[in-house]
Amino acid sequence: MASQAANQHPNREYAVELARAFGGAIIFGLPNLMTMEMWFLGFYLDRPRLILFLLVNFAILMGLSRFSGFEETASVKEDLLDALAAYGVGVIASAATLAIFGILLPGMSMGEIVGKIAVQSVPASFGAIIARQQMRGKSEEEQEEERDVAERRGGYGWQLFLMVAGALFLAFNLAPTEEMVLIGFKMSPWHAVALVLVSVLALHAFVYAVGFAGQERPPEGSGFWRLFVCYTIAGYGVALLVSLYVLWTFGRMDGADLGQIASMTAVLAFPAAIGAAIARLVV
Amino acid sequence: MAETGNSKKSGKRSSDRQRSRPPLLEWVAAAVGLTLTLAVLGALGWEGLESAGDDPPAIDAEIRRIVPVRPGYVVEVELRNRSSATAAAVQVEGELTAADGAVATSTATVDYVPGDSTRSAGLFFADDPRLHRLEVRALGYAEP
Repeated sequence: MASQAANQHPNREYAVELARAFGGAIIFGLPNLMTMEMWFLGFYLDRPRLILFLLVNFAILMGLSRFSGFEETASVKEDLLDALAAYGVGVIASAATLAIFGILLPGMSMGEIVGKIAVQSVPASFGAIIARQQMRGKSEEEQEEERDVAERRGGYGWQLFLMVAGALFLAFNLAPTEEMVLIGFKMSPWHAVALVLVSVLALHAFVYAVGFAGQERPPEGSGFWRLFVCYTIAGYGVALLVSLYVLWTFGRMDGADLGQIASMTAVLAFPAAIGAAIARLVV
Repeated sequence: MAETGNSKKSGKRSSDRQRSRPPLLEWVAAAVGLTLTLAVLGALGWEGLESAGDDPPAIDAEIRRIVPVRPGYVVEVELRNRSSATAAAVQVEGELTAADGAVATSTATVDYVPGDSTRSAGLFFADDPRLHRLEVRALGYAEP
């Protein structure tokens, strides 16, 4: 009955989904929307790097849309529509919130206004796309379809993609703050080594405890070492690469020497690893 | 067995396809999203091309108005960045020179003056700046 009603009012159903998307955009965007460094980054972030990051974000949105797609027929066209809508929601939600906070004012230059919105649109659009399935009540039929989607998620490539998305989201949330650099200075090399080990352990605990989407047990024949290498170590590699990329985007690596870069990366890879680990829970 | 499984699956597929035909609103939302995406990318790209050089920040300081306040006078200064490069920690100084040669200076620091933008600051003075010679200027900046 419920799905019949939905069939008769596809527009209304989609409007409700859009409202959920706005909710998700605000929830995931707020920590950044209320962070001073993020406003400042909006006007001084290197433009080519920001544009590249927006394109990467868009690709991630399209990938995530494939997971949130309940329809088996999920096609590239639908993913594109989903990603565009989510990005639009992210931009509108960010602009509205910044305007209410008095961060966007009429006298500001175009570059400043667009830059501030563009930076915020990344986490907000991420929230928008994953909210659409997180906040929705599920009918039995949908739950069945979700299991199909979950099976599809079981593929190793998709698992890696989810880890990239999760790592990118959490790293992006934390990288703008001065504390990333400060913690790097405060830590001795031994602290950094300990942090790397803790990150790997935490990641493995999540991999083991969370298990695999759609499966109760790890894939057959996967002993400890296989799991450790294929998921934990690979996941930490993802976290490191994503951290480096985010640090480069924010210009944190400019003028830093190798030791500084290594310690900043180790610091940022900790939240990135946690993000990689829980992405499979959240998405 | 296999056949029923197949037909069931294909039946489900076709109903899915029917349901997955995007409603009008989805097209509208995607169109708005596309417009915003292109607008953001376009504006950033244009700004990137425009500021392709390596110009340093260039900051003008201008007196906007002078207001008497309780302990003296406040001089409102507008800082205008004429370059597209952002300046951080911009120091602004006002120098008040009386007819007898006595000099009073006040300074303020502005966190950021983004490229092609303006920011305001205020300088306090004990004497009425309107009766003396007042000069304001930006002293320096840090790269963000």
